[in-house]
Amino acid sequence: MAKRILLVDDSASVRTVAGIALRGAGYEVVEASNGQEGLSQLNGERIHLIISDVNMPVLDGIGFLKEVKKHPNYKFTPVIMLTTEAGEDKKQEGRAAGAKAWITKPFQPAVMLDAVSKLVMA
Amino acid sequence: MLAVVVMDLSDPSVVDILETTGSFEARNAALQRSNVDGVCSLLPIWSRQVETSRRQTEDAIVALTERFSQIVQRIDAALNTSGTGSQQNDAHAEAQRSRKDLALVVDALKAIQLSRNELVGQIRTLSNYTAELHKMATEVDLIGFRTNILSLNAAIEAAHAGESGKGFAVVATEVRALSNAARDTGKQISKKVGLINDALAQIGRTNEEVAARDDQAVQASDERIRAVIGRFESSTAAMAAAARQSHQQSNAIKAEICESLVQLQFQDRVGQILAQVVGSMNELTDKAANSTADEAAQLARDHADQMVSSYTTEEQKLNHQGIETTEVEQSAVTFF
Repeated sequence: MAKRILLVDDSASVRTVAGIALRGAGYEVVEASNGQEGLSQLNGERIHLIISDVNMPVLDGIGFLKEVKKHPNYKFTPVIMLTTEAGEDKKQEGRAAGAKAWITKPFQPAVMLDAVSKLVMA
Repeated sequence: MLAVVVMDLSDPSVVDILETTGSFEARNAALQRSNVDGVCSLLPIWSRQVETSRRQTEDAIVALTERFSQIVQRIDAALNTSGTGSQQNDAHAEAQRSRKDLALVVDALKAIQLSRNELVGQIRTLSNYTAELHKMATEVDLIGFRTNILSLNAAIEAAHAGESGKGFAVVATEVRALSNAARDTGKQISKKVGLINDALAQIGRTNEEVAARDDQAVQASDERIRAVIGRFESSTAAMAAAARQSHQQSNAIKAEICESLVQLQFQDRVGQILAQVVGSMNELTDKAANSTADEAAQLARDHADQMVSSYTTEEQKLNHQGIETTEVEQSAVTFF
């Protein structure tokens, strides 16, 4: 059975690029365009991994990550932050909030898939 | 920032200040106030222009991304339909199986031919028996001949015996008749055996002719089967090669499109930079709306400091410092 990944990003082009790569690698992908939409996708369905942008409207990635870590069913789900933010302060903020990896955009799909496979297997 | 200094003497407040005080400071203050207002009136226009450009770029890139995505999906569908060349390999395997099956048919034809040859061999064996029969018929004729001679001698001896030999003469006559009958029978047997022998010989010759024709037919069938299978294999091999090439080309095109999609990520980055610029201009416009020239200058300095915290990319920070931006680093991964 395919592993399911929640992909949260306000950029449609980024969702498309990441979605094609993930689906091509055999993953099932659920998309959301901000943190709030992402939370509404955590409705009891099994999610094996979350990929989230940081800077998004309504609810940003760090806020979303904190909410995920409070969720009883998803607090152990690995989260990868996929963002233009490359500053060390932001990375540490993400780490403290519970992110497992930080990938800076623009990203190569192969690099993202490598990180995904490592964390999904874990 | 370069500001155009314009004294708007149609503005009653400016005229009022100048008339009331007539001082240089008052004129200067009015002038600076006018400059701030001038710049502030331009900021919303620039903001709208930049926002329009950002939105148009985003819409175009999203539409382009969607089109590319659909092309990738169609290529995927085409690749899934055509398979990975396995169907062509199946056709090749089918040709191999057909070759084996048809070879079995040729072998069956050869087996039938062999059986018939065995039958002919047995018929030849019959010819040997007919030779013996002919010999036996000849012997019957010879026995009849000798018996005839004996009967003649007996008749002569019966004649010499006179009256007393009459009975024996009758026996001699009957024996002679029997010997003649035996000779006739021997000749008849010999004749029939000869006919049988001729028939068997004809069967043998006919079989040889048929066997020769069968040999040619089997050989021709074998060659035709091999030719048909060969052509079939050639065409399936060509189709398989074409399908493989098409598959490779489709994958290459898909890879190119995916790479193009990767390059389109610039929109996300540019969009964030422009959104920050627009937001910052709108914020500054609101702040500076009712401020004096001195306050506006302080606001601009404070705003510049605040802008740093709203940057999301390295190039924004470098641009802010006046440092030339270098190529953006791709796909830096940090595991925690």
